[in-house]
Amino acid sequence: MKYDVIVVGGRIGGSVSSLFASKNDVDVLMIEKNPEIGVPLQCAEATSELTFKTLGIQPSKRYICSKIYGVEVHSPDGTHFKMQPSGDEMGYILDRKVFDKSLAVESAKAGTDIMIWTTVKDLIIKNGKVKGVVAKHLDETMEIKADMVIAADGVGSNISRMAGINTLYGVKDVGSCVQYKMVGIDADPNYMQLYFGREVAPGGYAWIFPNEDGVTNVGIGIRDSNETAYHYLNKFISNFNGMPFEMNVGGVPLSGPVEKTYTDGLIVVGDAAGHVDPLTGGGIHLATSCAKIAGEVAAEAIKNEDTSAEFLKRYEEEWKNKIGSIIKNSLKYRKVLDKLNDKELNALARFLKGRDLDSITSTSLLGLVKESPSLVRHLKNVL
Amino acid sequence: MKFDIERCGYCGACISVCPTGSLELTENRIIIENKTCDDCGRCSIICPLGAFFVEVEKNLSKL
Repeated sequence: MKYDVIVVGGRIGGSVSSLFASKNDVDVLMIEKNPEIGVPLQCAEATSELTFKTLGIQPSKRYICSKIYGVEVHSPDGTHFKMQPSGDEMGYILDRKVFDKSLAVESAKAGTDIMIWTTVKDLIIKNGKVKGVVAKHLDETMEIKADMVIAADGVGSNISRMAGINTLYGVKDVGSCVQYKMVGIDADPNYMQLYFGREVAPGGYAWIFPNEDGVTNVGIGIRDSNETAYHYLNKFISNFNGMPFEMNVGGVPLSGPVEKTYTDGLIVVGDAAGHVDPLTGGGIHLATSCAKIAGEVAAEAIKNEDTSAEFLKRYEEEWKNKIGSIIKNSLKYRKVLDKLNDKELNALARFLKGRDLDSITSTSLLGLVKESPSLVRHLKNVL
Repeated sequence: MKFDIERCGYCGACISVCPTGSLELTENRIIIENKTCDDCGRCSIICPLGAFFVEVEKNLSKL
């Protein structure tokens, strides 16, 4: 077997990169380790309409669970306030099991071959260049040759490591997450609820993301804690009278991209590349943007008969140009948030309540200096 | 490390922080290679469900 491009991983990063490579007339194989694409769910399922603009498609009712107009933020003492995005950008809660499958189907329609329930055991590397994969489906092990490989195999990407790219994270750099899908939670169907505080979610936050049918995603992401995310989630849901009917678990890279996202014959996309917003933990839009670039660059490389690191470098240049500043700024905000104790979070919430972010003036900040000088010291780098 | 497969959600978060490459996520199963694992305990911090435990006896012997 021989392909132009092999994509390892069949979630958003994998399906979008294979879709855009196939659209550009190259032979693509996408390999997914699970027996069903989109399952198990490892996501809180929130994204913005930018995802659909990048894909060039209209969002479909088949996978849109609710339309989101903003977020309601809850501080440790219960102070809460609503925020809307500065533009008119709509948010969505997706049904990822359906959305991921629809992307894989689009990719297959564009010409991608798909192998499911197949694990990549090793890379074929010749003269320092990735030239294919060793894959195992049920009890059959096979060598599949390719001119290049796209690693879309999730956080900590084993495939990238096999190619010599360091994807190791520190324990403070990965969010440990658990989520229930629940019924019986009374939530505004058009706002996402975020809860902050050391007792609620150390190093992260708890969320309630609504669906219009009365189902909610109730989850938690924490970092570097002695107790598990599961412990904190169960503590959190004890405040509500809801019933879980599904549980999802996962790790989210929160320290920005891996040191290098290309090498000879390989590029890295999505969670595997650390293409996740370090502040929110959201990665759907960023993965989509980078995977589109990955697919297009892969097709160009095949047409130019040059899959060297020197050629593939343009992938990293292009995604940095597109989303590099988003990740950089979010990381800066996240680091500030990490420093705030519960008292400072409460002071910040009281300050932001009822205020439009654009209307914050130096005079209004003076009031905050009086209430919490330490908070203003922490915020000075981002104000 | 001690690994309790019954507490494992097969998410692979542990793999992203394992410095010795001793963990592998296969078709919905985590495999731990005890020969290379150095009991650093990072997997036990990151696991959302608490499937990893540092072996107390082993660690005591290191003291």
